[in-house]
Amino acid sequence: MDDSPLLRLRGVGKHFGRLAVLRGLDLDLCAGEIVGLIGANGAGKSTLLSIIAGLMPPSRGERTFAGSTGVGLAERARFAVVSHTAQTYPRLTAIENLQLFASLREKAGAHNEPLLPTLERLGLGYAARRQAGTFSRGMLQRLALARALLGRPEMLLLDEPFTALDRPGRTLLANVLAQERDRGAAILLISHDLEALVSVADRVLLLEGGVIAGEVPRAPEHASFGPRVRELAGRMPSVGTEAHA
Amino acid sequence: MSEALWGPGARAKTSLDMVALRQAWLLAVNDLRQEARDLELILTSTFFSLVVLIMLGMSFSALGVSSQPLAVPGMLWLSVAFVGALTLGRIFTREREFDTLRALLVAPVERVSIYLAKAFVTMVILLGCSLLTVLGLTLLFPAAQPFADRPLETFALVTMGCTAYAGVGTLFAAGLASSSGKNVLLSVILYPLTMPSLLFALVATRSLLEGHESFTTYLGQLTATNVLAFVVGAWLFEPVLVGVPQKRRGAARAARRRR
Repeated sequence: MDDSPLLRLRGVGKHFGRLAVLRGLDLDLCAGEIVGLIGANGAGKSTLLSIIAGLMPPSRGERTFAGSTGVGLAERARFAVVSHTAQTYPRLTAIENLQLFASLREKAGAHNEPLLPTLERLGLGYAARRQAGTFSRGMLQRLALARALLGRPEMLLLDEPFTALDRPGRTLLANVLAQERDRGAAILLISHDLEALVSVADRVLLLEGGVIAGEVPRAPEHASFGPRVRELAGRMPSVGTEAHA
Repeated sequence: MSEALWGPGARAKTSLDMVALRQAWLLAVNDLRQEARDLELILTSTFFSLVVLIMLGMSFSALGVSSQPLAVPGMLWLSVAFVGALTLGRIFTREREFDTLRALLVAPVERVSIYLAKAFVTMVILLGCSLLTVLGLTLLFPAAQPFADRPLETFALVTMGCTAYAGVGTLFAAGLASSSGKNVLLSVILYPLTMPSLLFALVATRSLLEGHESFTTYLGQLTATNVLAFVVGAWLFEPVLVGVPQKRRGAARAARRRR
């Protein structure tokens, strides 16, 4: 496997008017690894994901994916994004939602996984013919993940993927992500749920002040997180720092 | 349109354009399929057209036959302008409510395909409502009889007028769809920009009703407006949705400095 990072960010900055959200951020994401990115609300996590996904140009710096700075069809066929909103068509059935994106990918000459097995892999085989509008949030989240996995992406970007999932759903997601990592996908997980990130990611990075402020030590190798991480985690409602102490 | 060539062999540009058209067709069929299931846009636009038609019929029923060729074109294109604004305000509703536009933007989908698909669906709905209005005007006003006598010309005229309106309007509807709560701006931006095509359509309709030979000239001008609307719309759609990549902005600044 090529050791050079699949995704490379160098000095990426983003400002909205006078408000600087990202201030010269560097990040490498290699094939076959899961990187978690944690930060408080408003730290710029979603902005960073938008820049990586090509939804927003950076104000400065360079984003390189698979050696290319472009975000054309060829690049977009090689990565997938799962957002914190499911982004599915409620009037279409689960299989029709997948069929639409599979057909769009086909027209662009890209490969697709079989639809029904992909749904079954995410535990949605029984609901394949149901309209997505009747799904619970957790089911929608799994449908969005199924859509992302359609093209066996080389890079998978997930924004708050654990939010709507119950415990079995979280376990399923963790297993699927581990399988994807094992086949060589690079995965970037963005969340403010430190506990969930640590349980899945190979390394967890802290986004603060518009830059990567450091790497969060992983349990159980380390008895506790550093004081800065504990302080940050204490400000996040979903994280119980005492669980890691 | 996306800058990267697709595939290991880097296909030719014409092939990319075929990809865009095929994807646009898929997206349009998908939109129409969803529309057929909830009829949200179709019902709203059709009832609005009917209300406008009834109000126009009641207001202008006493109008003399000699004055009608002056009034009927205005009634038709005013109705199109209102129904168009209504349709465009809702054409991206699903995308806004369920955030599906982002899913399309990160998928290997040509951005211009999204524009073409939305413009096509807008045009289809607008065309249906316009034909309903034409039919109503023909029944209500004797001077509108040429609509029935020259159905092909009428169809071409209405199609061209609706297409130009959809071409311009879809671009701004998309821009506003990506920034929530600014839909009120649509009409403010839309009407001035669609005015040229509406004026061409208005004049062409009047010449059709009066049987002037200049009708084909006006229709030609309307067609040229269409081409312009779609070229500009396709060109600006991606920057409107995702902004201008830094490299392109940097290149423009460098070019200005060199000058």
